[in-house]
Amino acid sequence: MKLHSLITLSLAVSVLVTPALAQKSGKDVYGKTCAVCHATGIAGAPKYGNAGDWSPRIAGGTGRLYGSALKGTPKGMPAKGGNPSYSDAEVKAAVDYMLAAVKTAAKPTATPPQNPVAKEEPKPEPKVATSTPKVDKAEPTPTAAAAMAEAVPVGDVNAFNRLLKPLGKRNPPPPEDGIHDPANDGTHALLPPLTAYAGLPKSLAGNRVNWVEAIGTKKINPRWDRTDPKAEPVVMDLNIVREVKGSMPDVVYPHKQHTEWLDCSNCHPAIFVPQKGANAISMAAILLGEKCGVCHGKVAFPVSECRLCHSKKKDLARPAQAAASVAK
Amino acid sequence: MKFSIGMLCAIAVVFTAVPAAAEYADVVLNRRAEKEGMRPVVFPHWFHRIRFQCRVCHAELGFKMRVGSNDVTMNDIADGKFCGACHNGDIAWSPDRCDLCHSGKPGLPTGIVGGHETSGPGRW
Repeated sequence: MKLHSLITLSLAVSVLVTPALAQKSGKDVYGKTCAVCHATGIAGAPKYGNAGDWSPRIAGGTGRLYGSALKGTPKGMPAKGGNPSYSDAEVKAAVDYMLAAVKTAAKPTATPPQNPVAKEEPKPEPKVATSTPKVDKAEPTPTAAAAMAEAVPVGDVNAFNRLLKPLGKRNPPPPEDGIHDPANDGTHALLPPLTAYAGLPKSLAGNRVNWVEAIGTKKINPRWDRTDPKAEPVVMDLNIVREVKGSMPDVVYPHKQHTEWLDCSNCHPAIFVPQKGANAISMAAILLGEKCGVCHGKVAFPVSECRLCHSKKKDLARPAQAAASVAK
Repeated sequence: MKFSIGMLCAIAVVFTAVPAAAEYADVVLNRRAEKEGMRPVVFPHWFHRIRFQCRVCHAELGFKMRVGSNDVTMNDIADGKFCGACHNGDIAWSPDRCDLCHSGKPGLPTGIVGGHETSGPGRW
């Protein structure tokens, strides 16, 4: 009784408010946004005018339907249909519009075949509705348990070093990688990295794929242009040698390998000023995610691979004076 | 003794905060998703770099190379901006396949996973 009066109240409010603020009608909202999924029934959305789809949901109460439409559902309904610019009243009006269509459709076609569907479906529907909050509540416990298990790395000698992953933790499939939700259907449809890496040259860090060799030997052929698969990058073959302090080999920076992936504008002038001596680079800055560290350590090979950059051996017989001036 | 217990706690906190096995350079986008009732988005760099060079997204599409600096909305995607430039049903799957992108564990913070910069005591 209370629910009923609430619904009628909210309806009355929406009816009163709608013209006052010149809001979009339920039909407009449906046509612009809801129809994307609800016209065809994409991703399990109840189809517009299909009583079989709607009746179990109507049985759950109009208030719950409003709630699903406003806040979204874990099954795929985005909050407000994915358009937060709609007001609550507009979303509710759209729900009412879709419900009205079901009611008008149900009158002439209140046929026996729909009833069994309606009878079958109420069972899963309330289950889903009631079990979803349960899933949300239950989830933290297993993840917390898993995290605790990871927190005590008993046999992992190198567990302290995040750049050297032990064998069992390399390239797991999405449901096991700790960031994808295994309870999500889409997670299981995603490509496992190892499937994609088959046949690619290996490396010791990062994705454990040598991406530079992979593109150099044409094992992969990533597009340079979004739409044109034949567009070729403008590769610049220019090495920059940076002398470094101490006994560490000097850094040779190859433009070639970088311009095979990147535009000049990705690095110049925001990250590196294109002028000799204008860029103060240190390993500390790199580890903080600046300079080379914008990519290296996040998406390009990490700093554990010292000798890939520090690759030019120093002439150790160099006079001490010269070495000192370089150090300055 | 107190110190060592404190250290242990700190280490435990650090390790629990880091998904240990996630693929290098996976990006979690949760600036808006969970507030709006969806799972966080997981963007796999590895999947995309096999198909596209960095510049396509980071120069052509305008994705800034800093986690959290790209404010991507579903409206942008529907308008063909950001992910929507390819995820339009033409080059890659269209945005109606919600659960393929919105596939992260609830509660994950926005960030890039697997590197030295974002995880653990290496962040000084």
